[in-house]
Amino acid sequence: MKKVFKFLLKFLGKLALVGLIGFAVTFVIYMANAENKLIYYVVRPLLNKHYDAQVRDRRI
Amino acid sequence: MKLTDKLIKAVDKKLERFDPMWQSEHGVGGLRSRYYDKTGVAKYREWRGVKDTFYDYSQWLKNLMSMGMMVGSAPLACLKGFWEYRWMGSYLGTFMFIDRLFEGYRGYELRIAHMNMHAIVQSLTKKIALVLANDRRFGGGPLTDRMVPMDEVLPPLFMAGFKDLIPVPLQTLPEFIICDIDQHIEPYYIDVAESYGLPADVCSRCAAETGVTIDDAFPIFGKGFLSTNMPCNASEATSMFQRRRVNLPYQPVTMAMIHNEPGAHPYSTQELKNAIAFIEKEYGVKYDWEALFERAKHMNEQNTIELEKWDYFKTPYSALVGIAETLYRLYSWASVNGQEDYFTKTDRKVIAIMRKAYEEKYQPFSGKTRHRAFLWGPSAVYYTDFPTWIQNCWGINIVLNMDSTMGHNMISTTDPEQAIKDLALFSEKGVMRHHAVGGWDNVNAVWEWAKNFNCDMVLCNDNVACKGMNGVHALLEEQARDLGFHFIFIEHDLEDSRTVSRQDMRKCVNNYMSVVLNEQPLDPTIVEFDDSEAY
Repeated sequence: MKKVFKFLLKFLGKLALVGLIGFAVTFVIYMANAENKLIYYVVRPLLNKHYDAQVRDRRI
Repeated sequence: MKLTDKLIKAVDKKLERFDPMWQSEHGVGGLRSRYYDKTGVAKYREWRGVKDTFYDYSQWLKNLMSMGMMVGSAPLACLKGFWEYRWMGSYLGTFMFIDRLFEGYRGYELRIAHMNMHAIVQSLTKKIALVLANDRRFGGGPLTDRMVPMDEVLPPLFMAGFKDLIPVPLQTLPEFIICDIDQHIEPYYIDVAESYGLPADVCSRCAAETGVTIDDAFPIFGKGFLSTNMPCNASEATSMFQRRRVNLPYQPVTMAMIHNEPGAHPYSTQELKNAIAFIEKEYGVKYDWEALFERAKHMNEQNTIELEKWDYFKTPYSALVGIAETLYRLYSWASVNGQEDYFTKTDRKVIAIMRKAYEEKYQPFSGKTRHRAFLWGPSAVYYTDFPTWIQNCWGINIVLNMDSTMGHNMISTTDPEQAIKDLALFSEKGVMRHHAVGGWDNVNAVWEWAKNFNCDMVLCNDNVACKGMNGVHALLEEQARDLGFHFIFIEHDLEDSRTVSRQDMRKCVNNYMSVVLNEQPLDPTIVEFDDSEAY
């Protein structure tokens, strides 16, 4: 019983720690608007380069 | 007061100088202060006080999870979609889009706005995964032959009678929704159409749809295509291009345009019956009226709630405002049309908050609204986040948009013959038919709507390439003067932000508010700014 309780406590502790780290990381990304900066300055320019290089058959 | 409330109040006081609303009130900045010039990229997210910032963060996470689930449910198809379709890349701008739509939102209006927006996000992400996973361009999928591509301006509720089929508005993902999120996507498709030889003076929506067609950027699925005669000559032309390029058996569902005359309804009813017969033939399935009735009940409940919302809109105490109202109603009516339970549940939650806010005499935007406006506005309203800007800058609350007044009649849930008649009336009051090409009476009804909703102002978006509406410009100007409404024509080129920029559109309002009404802006940082490189 004591072992189970100890395991449960440890598990919950780890879960709380993961939750806390997860919250800290995502909240910093959110507040710093980091995902939008990454998309605007890095991802989209790369994707646009690819789209501009596509060859399309536009005959009707 | 509880300890946590005291703590939150103390933190809010300490950090209030970061709140753009506080900054504009104290003359030390405003909503535009946190942006890099031109790009629309914010240096950091809006500080709205502890409670509202954490609520906004929680909704950001929720939307992020929906997008993660979309990729998780069809990883390869989504990757192929990003690689193949230019419009898929534009969906990466969704977070920026949501942020700018809800700038300055606090309290109840922020909660409702996010509820509505998440309903759209969770629905759209599922639709994108479904379409890409069954796109014949990528080899097709298990549902390819059960999906029915149909014109997005044809309300899909009547298709609910085919319970094993999945109607998908064809243009919604690659053209309609995405033009709201990214102002730079449609000019590319417009150029594709024009380089093919299409005249440059047609409606940019139709030109963009044609460009998507010629660029082979429509996903391909289904065994038969339901096109329609919507909503103008240019649109009919693009339907023809789409039919040829999609290359499936098709049925044009040519609903009555001038639909106020009684003779129109039997004709539209027959058109719907023809469409049902076409699907039965092409897909080898039988129409099930009970299945239709099940979904019609949802649409009826949503419309019942909508009519109750209208009662609150007439007062200063409506917590559902501006873009949160108009974009949600447009998507939930035109694209979902009673077919997703999530929207009925969202409506129930939203109306509960609206009732509470009304009882508390809660005024959105801290009661800073100076004018109440009825808006006659299409897509240009959304990519410019126009209702949000006009409230934050000049205190003009967009009470209702013309799109929100689409089909709100109830559908019979017991009698098939009555149900199809109801659906015909309902479909005649669809996007653009109701307030644009449905006849002069429907256009001129804008004054009646504005009066009923206690508006002192009418804003009319003037699509410089719309041949139909150009003719009514002077008539509406005269009417406004006769009836005593503040009236602003806002020039735009719908989906082509190169012809009329966002700032040009804002300038129309700025000129009227400063020169005619001699008013001062609530937030001087957003009167004139360059966001030409923003999504």
